Amino acid sequence: MTDGIGRPRRGGDSVPLFEDYCPEPGTYDEFFSGRSESRPVARRLVALLDEMGRTAFRDRQKLAENTFLRGGITFSVYSDAKGGERIFPFDLIPRLVLPDEWARLESGLQQRVTAINMFLSDIYGDQRILDEGIIPRELIEGASGYLPQMRGIKPAGGVRVCIAGIDLIRDHDGEFCVLEDNVRTPSGVSYVLENRMVMKKVFPRIFGRAQVVPVEEYTGRLRRALASIAPIRDPAAQTAVLTPGAFNSAYFEHSFLARRMGAELVEGSDLFVDDDKVYVKTTRGPRAVHVIYRRIDDEFLDPAAFNPDSLLGVKGLVSAYAKGNVALANGIGNGVADDKAVYPYVPEMIRFYLSEEPRLQQVETYVCAREKDRAYVLENIDKLVVKAVNESGGYGMLIGPQATRRQCDEFREKIKASPRNYIAQPRVELSTCPAWTPRGVAPRRVDLRPYVVTGTDGSWVLPGGLTRVALVKGSYVVNSSQGGGSKDTWVLREAQR
Amino acid sequence: MISRVAQNCFWLARYTERAETYARLLDVTATLALDGSLATDQWRPLVIVSGEEEPFTKSFGVEAMSDEEVVLRYLTWNADSPMSIYSSVRSARETMRTIRETGSLEMWETINDLWLWLCSRSAQRMYDEDRHRFYLHLRERGMLFEGVRHATMLHEEAYEFMQIGAALERVSQTARILDVKYHSLGPDTERETPVETAQWLAALRSCSAVEPFFKRAANELEARTVAGFLLFDPGFPRSIRHNLDRTALRLEAVRLSSSPKIGAASARAVQDMLVRLNALTIDEAIAEGMHELLTWVIDASAELCHTIEDDFFEWEANIAPAEASG
Repeated sequence: MTDGIGRPRRGGDSVPLFEDYCPEPGTYDEFFSGRSESRPVARRLVALLDEMGRTAFRDRQKLAENTFLRGGITFSVYSDAKGGERIFPFDLIPRLVLPDEWARLESGLQQRVTAINMFLSDIYGDQRILDEGIIPRELIEGASGYLPQMRGIKPAGGVRVCIAGIDLIRDHDGEFCVLEDNVRTPSGVSYVLENRMVMKKVFPRIFGRAQVVPVEEYTGRLRRALASIAPIRDPAAQTAVLTPGAFNSAYFEHSFLARRMGAELVEGSDLFVDDDKVYVKTTRGPRAVHVIYRRIDDEFLDPAAFNPDSLLGVKGLVSAYAKGNVALANGIGNGVADDKAVYPYVPEMIRFYLSEEPRLQQVETYVCAREKDRAYVLENIDKLVVKAVNESGGYGMLIGPQATRRQCDEFREKIKASPRNYIAQPRVELSTCPAWTPRGVAPRRVDLRPYVVTGTDGSWVLPGGLTRVALVKGSYVVNSSQGGGSKDTWVLREAQR
Repeated sequence: MISRVAQNCFWLARYTERAETYARLLDVTATLALDGSLATDQWRPLVIVSGEEEPFTKSFGVEAMSDEEVVLRYLTWNADSPMSIYSSVRSARETMRTIRETGSLEMWETINDLWLWLCSRSAQRMYDEDRHRFYLHLRERGMLFEGVRHATMLHEEAYEFMQIGAALERVSQTARILDVKYHSLGPDTERETPVETAQWLAALRSCSAVEPFFKRAANELEARTVAGFLLFDPGFPRSIRHNLDRTALRLEAVRLSSSPKIGAASARAVQDMLVRLNALTIDEAIAEGMHELLTWVIDASAELCHTIEDDFFEWEANIAPAEASG
């Protein structure tokens, strides 16, 4: 074999990337249907990467990592005594989504977020869905994310979920379904945009050939959506991104979004409320703020309304929000909608508010607050995944099939002690994608978090989203806090041959 | 702009300026110390004017103040000393991280690269094996950052606050460098000796001032001309006078579009400094005591920094919310 200039390649250089690739049995692999049978969607990419070979690939993986480090595209690690920063592990092999698959997802996501927005307006308003018995009242009133004091408040702009991150997985048949909703402060979108930027730098030729739908529109869309909910119809409406500060693990993202939207990045102590209006402290005195994309949880938002010890928030902010003088994205009290015990009712919400059938599948869920479900869960805990309803990041969770008997017993006790706090689902065999490992390319499980941006004129879905990958062999947990990495997600423009 | 961000801009420029100044100062002093015949203690005064005498002697003892290796290591690498190059670069990088939305991408990359390099093994190796190149690299990166800042960010308020921060850092560092030389040479500065010539040349080098100086004072390399140049020259970018002029100008630019109340105290403070400085000739300054004058410059510029903090960054302590307006 020659490399085009007549010099024979040395052995190591020409090892095709996928040479020893072997999908996990019983799992849907998105690139290969059998040991060496690539799926049509991936065929061209597999050929190009095989041709590149392992050595060249490894070099580019290094180059990508350096680019992240140089750009400061990092997250802070709380456990690190030195207050260290790490790059979010990035896997260079992109994930591929076909245009017709994407079109279905896009419309399903818009439908879902529309229904969730209507649900929140209803719950903090007339509560028709509870009166009609579609969702049990005690389930909602028992949700820790439900804030009864917010009832009757109509936020400026009327949109409660401006930014949603809906986590999707593909099951053993390759079917996409919703695993959970995130409608409070979903993070990760900056990695989508930065991953793409790095991909273009590192794989210009392969990227150029692939015809990928661009993602760069996101920040412009977000900016417009935020402007649309401003309490004043004025191009001078001031938007700010509210961050807990430079020590927050997602600070890079807060700074990134402010930068790309041309908005101010503020901390709680930069703002104050006077006469139910919000101001930022500037070198020229106070200046009004009209829209706040806040990346602080409800609980810490306003010491006068919630946690009185919070130093991150702004005293009086909730009152300004209630008066409609400032718009918040996302709204206060959204936690009731992404409560994991409310999740099984989302298809009902869609039918109730939109009179439509849900376009996205979701995972069968046992709500431990329901007696029958609870009995089933306690009986079959070793076959199920049990989750605390308000935890995220892969915490507070039991994976029955991988747990010891003692761990199962512990969770049984927890469920009995507070059934409202737990749900259970069958373990879904998450699909796999090839990922680079120290020993070559191997299948690793993935999920997908698309981002839905909603303004007063409807919802827009970022093409693709954040693909998270469990970099540990056999792992089902994709969270960055637990050894997960990410991949660039390519929504292709044209169906592949 | 947001007061906290303005404050960070001000400090960012101080940190980068400080790192560059110390890289120059340490390099020049190490070169000077090579010439053993000059025989004066180069290092002790450096520790004293950096304001680090107390923590330094606590850790290493009084004797170590004359030990080149210890002093260099301390002022270059000590993570606890706010004056060390390591701390300045770390603070600059951390500050830049919090104002990335205000600076430019290129500024971030320049400072982040410098920080990653300083933490790398190759920087450590260069420090051990080729110290001159190590400091040269730091100086070049400092100048690169200043150029990148000038060329890539919006020239508006944030930029003005950086310029003010850099100017005031220079005022205090130039005063300190002059003071080091007065410490080294002792009170008798009347006679020109080879030692003095070398020392004053080093002072000029520490301020990148050699060639500009000779354009003003052809062949007279002595205390009077050098101190006069570094104190009073209106056109030299590291002279005290020049940087106070700049500070006054930038403060006016910032205040122009704001209410006349904001920043009044700062503007007055810088004018007061200029009035006193401009009323002096170099001969009067020497007669009155150079060390006293330089101490005043250092203290008054530190006071001015506090006033700027109060006027622009911490104003909510002074202004009641009742004055808030849309």
